[in-house]
Amino acid sequence: MRPDAVLSPPPGPGETGPPAVEVVDLERRYGTFPAVRGISFEVRPGEVFALLGVNGAGKTSALEVLEGLARPAAGTVRVLGADPVADRTAVRPSLGVLLQASGLPGDLTVAETVRTWAGTLTSPQPVDEALAQVGLTGRADVRVRSLSGGERRRLDLTLALLGRPRVIVLDEPTTGLDPESRRTVWGLVRRRVAEGAAVVLTTHHLEEAEELADRIAVMRAGRIVLAGTAGEIAATQPATIRFQLPPDAPELPAVPGARLVATSPRVELHTQALQPVLTRLLAWADREGVVLAGLQARSATLEQAFLAVADSDADVDGAAAA
Amino acid sequence: MTALTTPAPSRLRRSLVLAGAETRLLLRNRTAVVNSVLMPLLLVAAVRLLAVGGEETATGPRLLVTATGVTLVFLTYYNLVTTFVARREELVLQRMRTGELTEAEVLLATSVPTLLVTVGQLLLVALGVLVLGEWAAPVDVVLPLAGLVGGAALMVLLAAASTAFTRTAESAQITTLPLVLVATAASGLFFPLSAFPDEVGQVLRFLPLSPVVELTQLGLVGRTWDGDAVDLAGAWAAAPLPLLVLAGWLVAGAVVAPRVFRWAPRR
Repeated sequence: MRPDAVLSPPPGPGETGPPAVEVVDLERRYGTFPAVRGISFEVRPGEVFALLGVNGAGKTSALEVLEGLARPAAGTVRVLGADPVADRTAVRPSLGVLLQASGLPGDLTVAETVRTWAGTLTSPQPVDEALAQVGLTGRADVRVRSLSGGERRRLDLTLALLGRPRVIVLDEPTTGLDPESRRTVWGLVRRRVAEGAAVVLTTHHLEEAEELADRIAVMRAGRIVLAGTAGEIAATQPATIRFQLPPDAPELPAVPGARLVATSPRVELHTQALQPVLTRLLAWADREGVVLAGLQARSATLEQAFLAVADSDADVDGAAAA
Repeated sequence: MTALTTPAPSRLRRSLVLAGAETRLLLRNRTAVVNSVLMPLLLVAAVRLLAVGGEETATGPRLLVTATGVTLVFLTYYNLVTTFVARREELVLQRMRTGELTEAEVLLATSVPTLLVTVGQLLLVALGVLVLGEWAAPVDVVLPLAGLVGGAALMVLLAAASTAFTRTAESAQITTLPLVLVATAASGLFFPLSAFPDEVGQVLRFLPLSPVVELTQLGLVGRTWDGDAVDLAGAWAAAPLPLLVLAGWLVAGAVVAPRVFRWAPRR
């Protein structure tokens, strides 16, 4: 334990400052099983970083090191420039953690629970204000046991954010929440980010990653196999053009830059250059007087990119990390 | 960042906040409250049975020695194993560990209600025998207090260590048996160690609860482990070994408990 560790200061106006979270070649093992196999990323103040991956990809194992709940088998993790385990005393007041699953004593009321947690913190937010932010003011005197799943999750989040943390770690913050609660949570996270907090989150909801995250990393079997903005990740997959050819249509010409995946009558083309390919196709159809029924052209989505890499067993070791 | 308007709570203060919440939880558990009061009443009721033995000394102090051992094992130790395991399986411990409280502060604060009940029960027993007129002035108070404080600390450590092999709160009924059996049968609690052959008795003095019984008995009753009556000087002359044994167990517990304690359920 190094109680005298000094955290990196928050950046001044207009500065980007040092990264709030730095992860370099992090590895974690359970016995001989490598749960995290050398991942690196950094998150700056005012930025949201999302880790995506199927169950067992190693997201939670990686976060536990950030949270100071586990030591890495190899590699280093710095939170505000300090080691979350060795410099725990220095890091904890600036770190807000929402675990994937966590419990609270059922026989305390919501207000008692928040007040107790506030009493252990260096710089807590006022309890009433915190409850109002998550819409739990009306439930303040209800015992935790009687809360719905969504209410309990919002209470959990209240505790995670109560100490005004500069670094926020959220492990599946909205799993099991109804759409409205989910939006409440997103709003809360956005507000803290606007105030300069750095957020690391994991999620199963690709929509959530697209909605909240500035940058995304997709984990598979303990490694980061794709990283970038949602747009960059989606762009690793080809765009799709679909239409139906009439029976009497002339044969479709070869279009450079496009791969024919299905032929008539239902045609599907994949391409990395959607606009030029589509232009050529439409020009041909115009020339030949062909009607392309049910024409659809769409760029790849994050979901497509995610499904393409996240769950495939093949070539785990050779996968190109971005 | 918002400027700090209040100083950070001290370690003691923030632990007391959690201990307060834990105590409130205990008071909301009616079964636990009733049990806490019933047990000392039963013990006091037993004082009449002990008195039938026709001993020359007052039975009150002897009962208090027994009560100390019984309470430490059946209440302090057993309750804490159950509480730690229940809190772990409900994922409360893991949640508490994500805050500013240190791990030791979380476990100590969680232990506070049980420790309060421990002290409360012993006070009730003392009061009970006083009311029944079975009390006699102790030979020494420091040794029994050292035994109680050291014994309670040891129960916290042993309970934390016992959670390593206790999967559910219910299975604590079985996993706590080794200490319960050792304590009741071979620590001088119900059968004096002088009842065993001398060599065996000497070995049994090194069991975890034996020094607690020995110290409280030296101070409260003025009697050594092998049955000799002693005064204040005699009590202290006999005290070094049990004090050392207790200290040894505390060190062992302090080394082992943090190493084997698990904060999250096994998945």
